Amino acid sequence: MSSRMDTIWSKLDRKSTAIAEFTMRQYRTRISTWAVMGASVVAIFLMLLFYIDAMNTEIEAKDNDGDSFDSDGDGYPDGQEWLEGTNPNSPESYPDWVEPDPPEKWINEDDIDWDVLANGENYVGEDDDGDCQSQDTSSQRDGNENGIDCDIVVNVDTIKGTVEIDSDNGVDEDPDEEKYGKEAGHRSFILGIGKFGIVFLLGIFLPLFLATGLIREEMTEGTIHYMLAKPIARGEVLLYRMLGYLGITWPFILGLCFVLALITGFTGPSDGIFRWADLGVWMSIAWAAMMVSLVYGTIFCGFGIIWKNGVILAILFAAWELGMTFVAILSGGDSAIRYFSVIGWGMIIVDAGVAVCWPDNWQLIEIGLWGGGHGEENWLGQMSYESLPGAEPLLAFSGKSGLGVSEWVAFVIATAILLFQGIMAWFIGQIIFKGKEVN
Amino acid sequence: MSEIKSPGEPFEPEPTKNETFGSETPVTGQTKMQAAWSSDVENAESTAQVASMPTGQIFQQIYQPWNGTLNPRWMRNWAILRHHVLGIVSKGHRPWNVPTKLFIFFVVIASMTDAAMALLFGMIGDTTLYDIWGVNRDNMYGHVMGFFPRNILWYPIIAALLVGGMISEDRANGTSAMYFSRPINRFDYAAMKFLSVGLILFFVINGTLAVYYFVDILVMGKGWSWIIDTFPMFMATFLCGIILSFTYTSIGLALSSVSRGRFFPAIGLIAILMGTKSMAAIIDGLFDKSVLYVISPYDAVAHVCQALIGTEMTYDHPWVWSLISVVVMNGLALYLLANRVSSLEVTRE
Amino acid sequence: MMPDMTQHGKAETQQWQPVENTPVVMFDRVSKTYGRINALSGVSIGLSGGVTGILGMNGAGKSTFFKLMMGKIKPSSGAIRLFGTDPWKNPAPYSRVGFVPEHEKMYDWMTALDFITTFARLHGMTRDEASIEATRVLKFVSLDEVMHKRIGQFSKGMRQRVKIAHALVNDPELIVLDEPLQGCDPLARTTIMNVIKELGAMGRTVLVSSHILHEIERITEQIVILHRGRVLALGNSHAIREMLDQHPHKILLDCNQPRELAKAIVDMDEVTGLSFSNPAALLIETRHLGEMHKKLPKVIVDSGQIVTGIDNPDDDLQSILMYLTGGSA
Repeated sequence: MSSRMDTIWSKLDRKSTAIAEFTMRQYRTRISTWAVMGASVVAIFLMLLFYIDAMNTEIEAKDNDGDSFDSDGDGYPDGQEWLEGTNPNSPESYPDWVEPDPPEKWINEDDIDWDVLANGENYVGEDDDGDCQSQDTSSQRDGNENGIDCDIVVNVDTIKGTVEIDSDNGVDEDPDEEKYGKEAGHRSFILGIGKFGIVFLLGIFLPLFLATGLIREEMTEGTIHYMLAKPIARGEVLLYRMLGYLGITWPFILGLCFVLALITGFTGPSDGIFRWADLGVWMSIAWAAMMVSLVYGTIFCGFGIIWKNGVILAILFAAWELGMTFVAILSGGDSAIRYFSVIGWGMIIVDAGVAVCWPDNWQLIEIGLWGGGHGEENWLGQMSYESLPGAEPLLAFSGKSGLGVSEWVAFVIATAILLFQGIMAWFIGQIIFKGKEVN
Repeated sequence: MSEIKSPGEPFEPEPTKNETFGSETPVTGQTKMQAAWSSDVENAESTAQVASMPTGQIFQQIYQPWNGTLNPRWMRNWAILRHHVLGIVSKGHRPWNVPTKLFIFFVVIASMTDAAMALLFGMIGDTTLYDIWGVNRDNMYGHVMGFFPRNILWYPIIAALLVGGMISEDRANGTSAMYFSRPINRFDYAAMKFLSVGLILFFVINGTLAVYYFVDILVMGKGWSWIIDTFPMFMATFLCGIILSFTYTSIGLALSSVSRGRFFPAIGLIAILMGTKSMAAIIDGLFDKSVLYVISPYDAVAHVCQALIGTEMTYDHPWVWSLISVVVMNGLALYLLANRVSSLEVTRE
Repeated sequence: MMPDMTQHGKAETQQWQPVENTPVVMFDRVSKTYGRINALSGVSIGLSGGVTGILGMNGAGKSTFFKLMMGKIKPSSGAIRLFGTDPWKNPAPYSRVGFVPEHEKMYDWMTALDFITTFARLHGMTRDEASIEATRVLKFVSLDEVMHKRIGQFSKGMRQRVKIAHALVNDPELIVLDEPLQGCDPLARTTIMNVIKELGAMGRTVLVSSHILHEIERITEQIVILHRGRVLALGNSHAIREMLDQHPHKILLDCNQPRELAKAIVDMDEVTGLSFSNPAALLIETRHLGEMHKKLPKVIVDSGQIVTGIDNPDDDLQSILMYLTGGSA
C-alpha cells in the first residue's frame, strides 16, 4: 500500500478514527442525544435567569451598626456625632459646626474591603468613613495590635482550614450589603452551578444517557457483528467507541462552560467590563466535568457490557456518587470518604481552580460571615455574628482539597487519579468484553 | 443442466437459459412438471406432456366465522392489567426481571420501618420514642412524601424500573402487535399499561401507608375518637400517595412511549425528577427563591400534599402554583403518551 | 461469567501471517454447550476453496457454527482454526475474511457508501483507499447507482447486497454468509445467488448457510448437513441425493379420479406402494425416484387421466433429515 503505512498518523486515520467518527455520527442521528443536550441547556439557562435576576435586583441596605439612628434626638445621626467627637446620647452635645447628615448617609458608610491586600496578604479592611482614624490614640486605632492602624487581620490557613478574624475598632463596621452580596452571589452561583450542575449532574447524566448503551445497544441489535468481524481487538473497539463518545460530550461541556463564562463574566459585578479571573474557574469546572464524564462514561459502558440490565448497576452507582457529591460539597473538604468516589476528585479540581483564580475567596467568605462584627454572644461565650447576604451559600459551595498540598499539586493529583480511574475502568471493561460471548 | 425446484415454490423466471427454463418459456404446466421432476438431473431431455389444463391453482378457502361471544371490554382490559401486575409476584405473567422484583420487595419492607418502629416502641411502652414514630400528621406526610430516602432512592427508582421497558420494549420488539391484532384498542392498551405501573406503585406507597396506620390502631388499641380525629388526615395522605404514583407513572410512561429500549425511559425519569429538584434546590440555596420548585414534579406534589395534609409549608410560593404545575405536568405527560400510542406503528422498529 | 484472560488482541495485520498448508477453516472435534443444550457436538470439518453450503433446520447449529468460526463465542471443547489461528484469541485472521451476519438490523442512517467505507477502514485502509474499494464492491453487487442513498430506504434484497458488499471490501479469501437469502424475493435471490456463484468462480472459499436445500443446490453442489449439532452428511449434493434415491420416496399426484389413475400406475415396476390420502389425490411410494420420473409422464398421458398437480412431499431438507435421522426429526 502507500508509504504512509507505517506512520502513526496513518494508523490513527484508519481504525481509531473510523470507529470514533462513526460513533459520533451515530450519536448525531439519535434524537435522544439532542433531547438530553437540549434539556441540559434549557435547565442551565433557566437557572441562569434566576442568576441574572438576582444580579439586577438591589440588595436591601442594612444599618449593621445602627448608627444612622439619632438616639438623643438632636438631629445628628449617632455616627456623625461619634465621628465629630460629641456625645451621641446627650441632646445637649452635638456638632453645631457642621450641618446634620441625612440618616441614609450612615447606612453602608464603611463599605467592605476584603480585596484590599495592600498591607500584606492577610490584612484587609479600610476605614472608609474615617471613624477609626479619627480616634485619638494609637492604641485606640490599633486594637488588634498588629502595628497597623485601622485594619482587619484575617488569618486563613487553607491547609489547616483555620480562620481568625481580628479587627480594629470601627473598620468595616457597616459593610455594603449590595457590594458584598453581589460578589458573593456571583461566586456562589458559579460554584453552585459549576460543581453541582455541571460537574455532577451533567457529568453523570450525559454518560448515563449516552455511554450506558455504547456497546450494549449494538449487542442487543446485533450490529456489533459488523465491528467484531474485523481485524480489530475488542479492547480497541471499546476504546475507540469511548473516543467517539468523548468527541460528543467534551465539546458540549466546553461550549456550555464557555457560553456561561461569557454571560456571567459580563453580568457579574466587576470594575471593568469583563471578569477575567472567572475564566480560570470556568476552565477548571469544564476540565473537572470532562474528566468526570470520561470516568463515568467508561464505567457505565462497562456496566452495559457486563449485563443487559446494566442500567440498574449504573443507577446504583449514581446514587452512591450523589451521596458523595453532598459529602464533598457540604463537608467543604473535611471528609476522607469522598476520596473513594469519582466526584470527590472532580470537586478537588474545581476547588483548586478557585484557590488559584480567586485567592481572596476565603477572606471574602470569612469577612462576610463576620459581617462587621455585630452579633450576640451565645451561651458558650463565643460571638455568633450576623453574616452578610451571600456569605453562607458561598461557604457552602466552596471547598478545600484537604490533601495538605498546594493548589496546583492538588489539581494535578486529582486529574491523575481521575485519569487512572478511567484507565482502570477501560481495562476492566475490555477484559470483560473480550470474555463476552456475543450472540 | 436442469434446475432443482421445490414444488411449493412459485415459478420464477431466470435470466440465463442454461440454469433454468428462461423467462421466455411459456407458462404451461411443463415448467411445473419439470420442476417437480427435477431429481432427474441426468436426463434433461425428458419432457412432460400431461398438462392439458392451465397451471396455477386457486384454493377455495372457507373461513368459519367465530360464533362465540366476545367478552366485555373491561374483561379484556382486566386480562392485560393482571398480566402486568401479577408478573411481580408470580410466574406465567409478564416476566419482570429479577432485580426489579427484588427492589420492589426491598422497598416494601423498608417502607414499613415506621410501622415496625411504632409497633416496637408501642409494645415496649416507651412513650417518648413512640411519639416520634407513631402516627401523626408529620409522619403520615413523611411516609409518602419524605425526600430522603423515600423519594430519592425508593419510589422514583421503582417507577423507573417499572416504566423502563413498558411501552418502549413493546415498540422495539414489535410485541405491541400482539395486543393490536386483538380486539383491544390503543387507548385501552395505554390505559392498562398506565394502570398497571400506577397500581404497583400504589400498592407499594399506599399499601405500606395503610399498614402503618392500621397497625397503630390495632396494636395500640386506639379508640373511635382517635380514629375519627385522624381518619381525614389518613385519607388526605392516601390521596397524596395516589397523586404521587400518578405523577411518576404518567411522566415515566410518556418517556417510555417516546423511546426504544429500557435505558432511556428509566434514566430519563430519574434525570427529570432529580435534575429539576437539584436545580430548584441550588436556586433556592443561592438566591432564596423557591419558585423554581414548581418545575420539579416531586416538589410540586409535595407542596400540594403539605396543603392537603396540613403540615408545615416548606416552600414560599403559594401552593396553588404547585397544584397548577402538577396538573400541567400530568396533562402534558398524558397528552404525549396518548399521542405517541395512537401513532404507534405496529411493526418491529 | 468469568472473563477470559487468554484473549490477546493486537490486531496487526501486517505482522500476522496465515499458517502455511492448513485448511482455511478447520474445526477439530468442536463442541459448544449452552447450559444443558448441546448446540454443537463433536464437529470436525476442514474447508478450503469453492462454495460450500451449510444446511440445517432452525436450531441445527448453523449459527453456532458461524459464531464459533467468527470468534463471537468460545468453544466448550475442541479447536477452531481460521487460517491456522484461533479466532477467539486473535482477531487478526479477519483481515482475510468477509462476514455477512444474519441480523437484519443495519445502520439505516448511513448511506451504502458510507457504511462500507467506514467498515473498510477497520481493515486498516485509509479513507481514500476505503472509498475506492467501497465503490468497487458496490459496483460488483450492482448497487453503484444507489450508493449515496440511505440504507434505511433500501429494500430487503438491496440491504442483503449491501451486507455482502461490505464483506467483500477487503478482497477476502474466505467469505461467510449467514442466511443470505432469507426473506428475499425471487429476483433478489437470483441476484445474490449469482454474486455468490461468481465469488466461488473467482476461487474464494465461500460458506453459505441456509435451511432450504434447493436454494443451496442452485449455488453449489458441495454441502454440509448439520442436524442437532452434528454433521449429518457432507459432500456432493448429487451423491447425497443418489443415496437418498435408494430409499422410499413419495410422489403426490392431484387428480380427479385417483383410483382410475392408480390402476394405470400400479403396474409399474418401480412402485412400491399406493395410497389415497384424500379423494382427489394419489400418493405413490417408490424406491427409484429417477426411473419413476422418466416413466411417469408417459403413463399418465396414456391413462388419459387429468393431473392437475404433482408434488414431492418429502423433497425438502426436512424430509431428507427425517429419513437420515430415522424419522425422529
